[in-house]
Amino acid sequence: MLRIVVDLNRCESYAQCVFAAPTVFWMKDEESLEYDYAPDDSLLVQVERAAAACPVQAISICWLDEQLEQQGGNHSEQQ
Amino acid sequence: MIQQSLYEQVLDYANRANPYPLYAQLRQTPVTRQTDGSYVVSTYREIVSLLHDPRIGSDFRKRSVHDRPPAGLSTNKEQAFKSQVPEVGTEASASNEGSETEVVPSFIGLDPPEHDRIRRQATWPFGPPHKPGRVADMESELICLANRQIDTMKGKSSIDIVEDFAYPIPVTMISKLLGVPPEDQARLHALSEAIIEGIDLDPQKSQEERKRRQEQSGQTFKDLEQYMEALIERHRKHPGSDLLSGLITDYGPDGPMAQPDIVSTASLLLIAGHETTVNLITNGMLTLLRHPDVLERLRREPNLVIRLVEELLRYEPPVQILPNRVALADITIAGTIIQKGSPVILLLASGSRDPARFHDPDKFDPDRRDNMHLGFGCGIHYCYGAPLARLETQIALTELVRRLENPRLAYDQPPYRQSATLRGPRHLIIEIDGVKD
Ligand code: SF4
Repeated sequence: MLRIVVDLNRCESYAQCVFAAPTVFWMKDEESLEYDYAPDDSLLVQVERAAAACPVQAISICWLDEQLEQQGGNHSEQQ
Repeated sequence: MIQQSLYEQVLDYANRANPYPLYAQLRQTPVTRQTDGSYVVSTYREIVSLLHDPRIGSDFRKRSVHDRPPAGLSTNKEQAFKSQVPEVGTEASASNEGSETEVVPSFIGLDPPEHDRIRRQATWPFGPPHKPGRVADMESELICLANRQIDTMKGKSSIDIVEDFAYPIPVTMISKLLGVPPEDQARLHALSEAIIEGIDLDPQKSQEERKRRQEQSGQTFKDLEQYMEALIERHRKHPGSDLLSGLITDYGPDGPMAQPDIVSTASLLLIAGHETTVNLITNGMLTLLRHPDVLERLRREPNLVIRLVEELLRYEPPVQILPNRVALADITIAGTIIQKGSPVILLLASGSRDPARFHDPDKFDPDRRDNMHLGFGCGIHYCYGAPLARLETQIALTELVRRLENPRLAYDQPPYRQSATLRGPRHLIIEIDGVKD
């Protein structure tokens, strides 16, 4: 399962991620970014585009293994 | 003969094919003062810090150094026209001898707070928060367009990537986006070309020649302005779903954009759409053909294109230089004081090759993870068109690599366009064995 983490301390609200994946990321107002941390796997390409487009490299993509999660969690970082 | 400075050598057309060794020499001194009083900044850390510094402005009207134009640029207030892409669209209407020049810069030539307001107004019909899906929704159309262009290569053994592919894609898209009717595209192509040629002044050319070209360019810009005014009138009467109609009729909390701002914004987008992405796509294909192993990988792993385009923006960026910034106060940086009113020239392409920031910077590495390149600048003037340029280039390169059989360079190296600022090949002739369906 696809998981996203945005380091909101780094985020400078360039909104490049919103352009690239508008159903996953959105601007709440001028300043603040909100996002779906568990988008559908079919959105992977858009999410990869968003992560690559972020000018401050604030977006990480992970794959979460469902079974492993039930056993206490494990995920691999892609970013 | 007077010895050229390193920066003058960068502008010298003789070094257009490979300015990178000159950038490496320039980085030995992060900030260098030129004889004309401008400052050239070449290292990553210093460029980023200045791009985030409110004491650095983009409004050339705040310059105090007017006596001599910096090499290859012009700062003369009396000139009828002032525009240097990527600060394009900074326009001035013709002035009578001695009278003040009336200037209406586009948002890249403005500072806060005007900049922020006009950029917000320009973004309203283009992207988030109001139209977040505008660029992403262009994907299927872009794929069709790229494939239509590739279809025209069927039966040929030799093609020009620039004329046959890299130019038509962004130009068709920006025309469509702005609502320019197809029958006007050829005329706008010619206007945009003439403007760029006129403002990119070769320091090798004589003073008279440069002046003549500037004047011509100013006239051309007025033609473009008139065209835009007429186009705006038409869209005001019959608005469509295009961006220009959006700028005119669909406005947000900042209210409607003033007419002169619509003209300068639309002109900016039109010229930027003609003169930047073409070079990113062409540089991309050139770089792939010089790295056949990467090209082969891209054929097998199409999603590699996402990071590959970021690496291109670092390694062979279409916008090499931001030539038109100005110090709004005395700024001490890297042991140098940049005096208030001085022009500041930021060598983005040099910063993106700075070994103090990037591991093995002269290597083209599409797997690079830490890649905060300066391809689109940074700070408040971060490229407005970046989302579109990225998507266009990602799709263009993927489709080209997927369909062309055994593409190879007819010769290396290609002839370059004149500009050191917007750098890219004029032609890129490649040979192919065929075109897949
Ligand atoms: S692209 Fe990066 S900096 Fe911009 S809003 Fe998204 S996460 Fe934040």
